Amino acid sequence: MSGGSDWRVGLAETGARLRTAIEAAADLAMVRELELSALGRKGEVTALMKGIGALEKSQRREYGAATGALRKEIEAAIRDRRQAIKDALIAAELVDSGFDETLPPEPAPEGHLHPLSIVQRDLEEVFTSMGFHVLDYPEVESEFYNFEGLNIPGWHPARDMQDTFWLDDGHLLRTHTSPGQVRALHAFEPPFRAVFPGQVYRYEATDASHEHTFHQVEGLMVDRLVTVGHLLDAMRTLLAAIFKRDVEVRLRPGYFPFVEPGFELDIVCQVCGGDGCPVCKYGGWVELLPCGLVHPNVLLAGGLDPSEWQGWAFGLGLSRLVMMRYGIADIRLLASGDVRFLAQFPATV
Amino acid sequence: MLVSWRWISEYVDTAGVDPRAFAERFTMSVAEIEEVHGFGDGLERVRVADVLAVSPHPGADKLRLARLDTGDSELVVVCGAPNLAVGQRLAFAPVDTRLPSGIEVRPGEIRGVQSPGMLCSERDLGLSDDHGGLLVLDGCQAAPGTPLPEALALVDTLYEIDNKSITHRPDLWGHHGIAREIAALLDKPLQPLDIEGLRFGEPAPVQLRVDDDSGCSRYLCARITGVTIAPSPVDLRLRLRSLGVRPISNVVDVTNLAMLETGNPLHAFDARFLRGDAIIVRRATPDERITTLDEQERSLLVHDCVIADAEGPVALAGVMGGADSEIRHDTGEVILEAANFDGATIRRTSVRLGLRTESSARFEKGLDPDTARLGALRFLKLVQDLCPDASIVSHLADKGPHCTTPPAPVVIHTSAAYLRSRLGVTDEELDDAWMDRTFTSLGFGVDRQGDDLVVHVPGFRAGRDVGIAEDLVEELGRIWGYDHVRSEAASVPARPPVLPPLRPLERGARASLTLSARLTEVMLYSFDHEPMRERLGLAEQAPDSSQLPRLSLRNAISAESTRLRRSLVPNLLAAMERNLERGTREAEGHKGLRVGIFEIGRAFVPVSGDEGASADMGVPAVLDGDQRDAFLGRMGEALAEGTRSAHASATPLPWQPRRLAIAIGERLGGGADGAGGAVLPPDDVTRSLFHEAVQAVRGVFAELNRPAPEIRRLPAPGTAPSDTQRIPGAVDLAPTWLHPARHGAILCGDRFVGLVTMLHPVIRQRLAVPAEIALVELDLDAVLPIAPCDDAGASPPRFPAMSFDLTIHTRPEIRAEDLRQRIEAAARAADAGIFETVRFIARFDGAADQAQPRALTFRTSCRHADRTLSERELAAVEKGVLKALKGWLYEVGEPAPIALPGRGGGGR
Repeated sequence: MSGGSDWRVGLAETGARLRTAIEAAADLAMVRELELSALGRKGEVTALMKGIGALEKSQRREYGAATGALRKEIEAAIRDRRQAIKDALIAAELVDSGFDETLPPEPAPEGHLHPLSIVQRDLEEVFTSMGFHVLDYPEVESEFYNFEGLNIPGWHPARDMQDTFWLDDGHLLRTHTSPGQVRALHAFEPPFRAVFPGQVYRYEATDASHEHTFHQVEGLMVDRLVTVGHLLDAMRTLLAAIFKRDVEVRLRPGYFPFVEPGFELDIVCQVCGGDGCPVCKYGGWVELLPCGLVHPNVLLAGGLDPSEWQGWAFGLGLSRLVMMRYGIADIRLLASGDVRFLAQFPATV
Repeated sequence: MLVSWRWISEYVDTAGVDPRAFAERFTMSVAEIEEVHGFGDGLERVRVADVLAVSPHPGADKLRLARLDTGDSELVVVCGAPNLAVGQRLAFAPVDTRLPSGIEVRPGEIRGVQSPGMLCSERDLGLSDDHGGLLVLDGCQAAPGTPLPEALALVDTLYEIDNKSITHRPDLWGHHGIAREIAALLDKPLQPLDIEGLRFGEPAPVQLRVDDDSGCSRYLCARITGVTIAPSPVDLRLRLRSLGVRPISNVVDVTNLAMLETGNPLHAFDARFLRGDAIIVRRATPDERITTLDEQERSLLVHDCVIADAEGPVALAGVMGGADSEIRHDTGEVILEAANFDGATIRRTSVRLGLRTESSARFEKGLDPDTARLGALRFLKLVQDLCPDASIVSHLADKGPHCTTPPAPVVIHTSAAYLRSRLGVTDEELDDAWMDRTFTSLGFGVDRQGDDLVVHVPGFRAGRDVGIAEDLVEELGRIWGYDHVRSEAASVPARPPVLPPLRPLERGARASLTLSARLTEVMLYSFDHEPMRERLGLAEQAPDSSQLPRLSLRNAISAESTRLRRSLVPNLLAAMERNLERGTREAEGHKGLRVGIFEIGRAFVPVSGDEGASADMGVPAVLDGDQRDAFLGRMGEALAEGTRSAHASATPLPWQPRRLAIAIGERLGGGADGAGGAVLPPDDVTRSLFHEAVQAVRGVFAELNRPAPEIRRLPAPGTAPSDTQRIPGAVDLAPTWLHPARHGAILCGDRFVGLVTMLHPVIRQRLAVPAEIALVELDLDAVLPIAPCDDAGASPPRFPAMSFDLTIHTRPEIRAEDLRQRIEAAARAADAGIFETVRFIARFDGAADQAQPRALTFRTSCRHADRTLSERELAAVEKGVLKALKGWLYEVGEPAPIALPGRGGGGR
């Protein structure tokens, strides 16, 4: 074979051409294409390397070294070009190219808890953390548990005040959560403390602030000696936990047949702080819950001897608390089933 | 009830007490004062004036000129009032006076005559709404020119007491009772009611008979002659006005005044119109009627208590007098009634007739019978003072069971230490002397033997008010002031509290349904809404198509809501419909509106005869003999009067299972005619809603750490799958909304816990909006006993699983789960040692022509715990499965029974 320099020229030209092409490659796909066409199984450089067999033995060493160098050179060019393209891409990504972090994400449906569930769960956690049992009692209740057991006999004016839904079978829809007092006395050995939240019913017309169906939570503590001072302390502690700050309270006489003495507990108006505003009717105080020392007849109905055991009890309007917490103007929204209203509340407690 | 501070001050020395500031003390110690009003304020410039002469107005027929003596001068003013007359003493407002009514008296001419002021009516002065004529100051001794507030002792402060806060205190329905409380609070003596100096006649002229011992415990009456009916003096009239009572005439006004003072209602009859010579208290007879003072004729029932003369009822006892015998302008002889009527009897009559009066409101509270005597004496005293010519010609007749057998006095044995201990106070804070003084000023008698106390309860507190030591704790506490009570932490031993067993399930379900299934929680009424049930045809039905019973209300709030729900679904469906409808309106033309809601609440299922009473019913079941006797001993008398029968009854409470119901709905594009009913839901919508519902249920079970339930069609609607158990009061098996071909029972092993179903197409058609809806109802009580999964903690496998897929062409009625179970059984049989799972992978719905029937693909995985499986071992399982499957598929008559095996991934 003549023209021993021919292949040298050819290799040099090939190398130059490939390098030019590689350096001109615009993206990684083109680089890959050039890589395959040069170094692949059927690539140009591979073919040149295979061409060694056609040479005289004397030139083979040199030819081998030259094609090896060519391959390395091309590999390096490809590597460099790749790196350059990647660098350029990263550099491009690092400048503002219209990525709009203010665009809203795709709307996905969300779940929502009922506000009563949220507040009830909150209260139950406060009470269990303070050692109160949480108990659950029937909504269709017997006359005994709803009335007589609570020291409310047939003639009692309280039966007027709590207009009752009566059922054909002689039972009734409980008018308060207080029947739980007698049920709890039957179920637990004293001393104990318990709350019983739940749905209650009153036979009355509905409007923005009255519902025939609403929620309460009742609390009861039984011990050997229970004083007004104990009640006051418990109420202060509970309200601080519920409102998450200290709340000034006062006890004033209130009449409920199942407690004696009985109280209305007022709290300082949370809107004006006691200075007087429309919410507290300029009195500075807001009536929050009835409470008192458990009437001996209730203890008797619960099977306890009132000369040995005493107690306190309170009843809190859960629906009212929900309305206070969320600023709900119309109590009927709670049972409306309207997702436009309910979708305002979160899915977690 | 309104209370006059000025009147109170006639019984208690209130000098130096600001009534507005004291109102808070009263609220804190006695009863809630809702509002404090001023009365007669702003009248300082108004003067007393005498009318010297009256002459016509030269320019107007309806106006006259009055020449007045105003003390320092004589003035002529223009006046339009019809009752103007010479010799009257009137209220005169000079020019530049601004009256409380808002009227400003300005100088000016009226029809050409200058008027230097005006003569005033009650309304002008802001004292009442009466504008019928001038306020005439009869009986006013003040000289002309005296400022009106001085002349009439007019200015007052009124307490408006919340009636609800004194329902248990009959003694507080009169001013003297309120004054007793205020005297105790101020530590001042209470002046007794003035009943001195009464002169009575002979026993003869009144014959009284009380035939109704249960309705009337005491009846007093007296005959008064020589009465002259006239308007009451102005101060008395204004006192009634200030307390919201319209003045009528001296005798009637005095009945009201004595009632407002003592709390006991009174009535005066014109003696001319009482027929025969006896007054009889009795129950009405059938068909009796009476025309009451308000000119209404009223039919009476046999439980109404009436006052009758020889011929018939003359008053509706304790509620209202009769029109025939009312006091007239020419009445000269009066029969006074002061009585004590039974509260429940009065309440029943007044509620039935819709006639609530000052009288019935008081009797309902259960007044002390002795108050009737005080009321009678006060009335007589006032009449003697007002009508000097009147004389009481009878004795005070007094009959009734309270006179013949007076109730035993109420005496409480306790100790000062006990009373203090319940308040949590020391004997230094609340000493014996203060304690005794307080009891005494409240009307209680106290015998003290060292620390032991014997407290005698006065009659006016003894009825249903004070009877036990705890009541005395309240008396001391409220007068002492609860704001002095020290907070004291209780020392109940700490024990881990319990939660209702269902609570973790409810909480878990809520978390899963809101966070994973992304549903919205609703809380709906426990009452079914009958028109909605009827419109949609939602009655729950038994397998024999009869309607299942629901609990009925005796007094429903409306004719539309008369029963308790036995399923949560109907109300949930109605809420869904409303939400979809609202969505339709708000997003007109928008496709794919989907709403998902759920409720956790109670259903109410009547107990049928043979299910037996639940254990927690009534007193007898719970209290042992001694406890029960103790309770009945204390409550016995009351129960006998009321509802003893109710707790002797053994009627069990209904089942009240806690349910979870879910509705997921999608609004469909309306048909061309706008009627939603025509639209058939697309298959993919139905399927995705059903799957979303099933996914929600599975999510709940996963959250509750319970094994995933099986969803299987009922053998037939109304029929439980064989060998399943249902809890009492479980979800009904054949509700009308159950889609017979698109539903599944939710099964946990052999336990039926609920249903998931597409809405029945007939009901779907009736919805107000075209929609497809998936429904779930689940008994949480039935889930509770299912054991939680506790197989956590296993190490991950060390060797890979191998699997093979089978694609099986079947008829649509063959259920995927049936096939899967077959494959599982066959694989276990082939080699129990290496079989791991069979899972459903994919489905292919065949073309309509059945050339390519439906296909289901399952993947069977096998694994050896200690080494890699060989292809040979896997092939053996596959062969066994194919063999068993073929046999079974031929058995059920599959046309194209099998199945193209394919390899699944090896390394999973």
